[in-house]
Amino acid sequence: MIVRSARFLDLEMPQSYFGSWLTSVPHFFVRNHMHEPSTWEAAEWRLNIGGEVQNQLSLSLVDLGKMAPHTVTNTLECAGNGRAFQIPKVPGVQWQRGAVGTARFQGARLRDLLLRAGLKSGGKHVTFRGLDEVPGKVPPFVRSVPIEKAMHEDTLIALRMNGAPLTRHHGYPARALVPGWIGAASCKWLTEIQVSDKEYEGNFMKPGYRMPNEIIVPGGEVNPENTHSITSLGVKSVIAQPTDNSSSSREVTIRGAAWAGEANITRVDISIDSGRSWRPARLAAERARYCWRLWEYVWQAPSAGEYTIMSRATDDQGRTQPQTAAWNPSGYLYNAIDQVKIHVHS
Amino acid sequence: MSTLRSGRVALLLCLNAAVVGHAQSLDLPAGRIQAKVQTACTECHDASIIRQQRLSEKSWTKEVDKMIKWGALVDPSDRAAFVEYLSASFPPNKPPDPTVRIGRSKTR
Repeated sequence: MIVRSARFLDLEMPQSYFGSWLTSVPHFFVRNHMHEPSTWEAAEWRLNIGGEVQNQLSLSLVDLGKMAPHTVTNTLECAGNGRAFQIPKVPGVQWQRGAVGTARFQGARLRDLLLRAGLKSGGKHVTFRGLDEVPGKVPPFVRSVPIEKAMHEDTLIALRMNGAPLTRHHGYPARALVPGWIGAASCKWLTEIQVSDKEYEGNFMKPGYRMPNEIIVPGGEVNPENTHSITSLGVKSVIAQPTDNSSSSREVTIRGAAWAGEANITRVDISIDSGRSWRPARLAAERARYCWRLWEYVWQAPSAGEYTIMSRATDDQGRTQPQTAAWNPSGYLYNAIDQVKIHVHS
Repeated sequence: MSTLRSGRVALLLCLNAAVVGHAQSLDLPAGRIQAKVQTACTECHDASIIRQQRLSEKSWTKEVDKMIKWGALVDPSDRAAFVEYLSASFPPNKPPDPTVRIGRSKTR
């Protein structure tokens, strides 16, 4: 794993692991905003549900385990994935391509918990709070999702990942799983759910994790009042092989992954001539809603030399990866057409 | 006792030790106020998160002010020197640091 930060732990998946449709847990990226919880008793751990509900609930891990399990396979991507490619540079973890992974999550539907608690009519947003340990005066990592997404049948309180209990780095004992949305929505080490009449107003909802409502000149200022909360991921592809500045024989196997949040990838195209012409890549058979499609294209280089390979994804909402990502001061949702330079030898 | 099983605890400790071992070799570069910056910043997070930034003086000023607001202990008389040091050490045109990895990378 690529260590972007050891404290707080931020680990990026190397490009070579894009070859598997399901990402193994040890290779699944880790994004921590705070210290991981240091100590707690599983027997005493509770998930408390309150706010705009008829009955406050306090559930144990055993209680959650008894609820009807639901499984969702989901491509989870950090909103800052690709931030390192923003020009001009922006502050934050300098993720390149690998703050993303696909895993099978299992747990109780959040909807079932909220229905058991009895939603009041004033409940419009659902706020997640975890056991992250906050240093200094840093605001707590607390975030909310609108009630419509919270009540969606695929939004989970996940206890398991790829068939095993969540690891500590991925939120043990329980995390939210908000499929198709930025990773920050899926809060880890979950301990409290509050239903409220408005979006949570903490730092990680505003000014954090927001996009400008208008196109910003790169490097320009943004009025915080003229922004919106980021929800679903954009359309994006990355080239996993060959890697940038690598060498290849004249037969070049180009592989990668493409995803589109709540939408579905319909095609990935490859260009070897700076975008003047595009040729369709073959999409692999494995697919599921919220999940990336792996793709491949085999190209015969006409001669030895230097080449730039580009990949461009399109989804069923008609969105296509742009030539240039929308610049924003935190480098969120970078999704420009991916490209790598290679040297082809004879 | 934490409920984490002993095997998983051992694995996590090994991972954390490996990560910390790599990252702690990445101190901040020499400079007039390096020691104060190192102390103020690494109380909460390691130096690698600073070393990977490539920011203008204007952006470093915002970052320093944000961190002071969030509890970094910076004497007000040192604030400008912090910004100057960080801007000089990690400007936009500086090449990125080498990538640090743990574990084995699969090859195809």
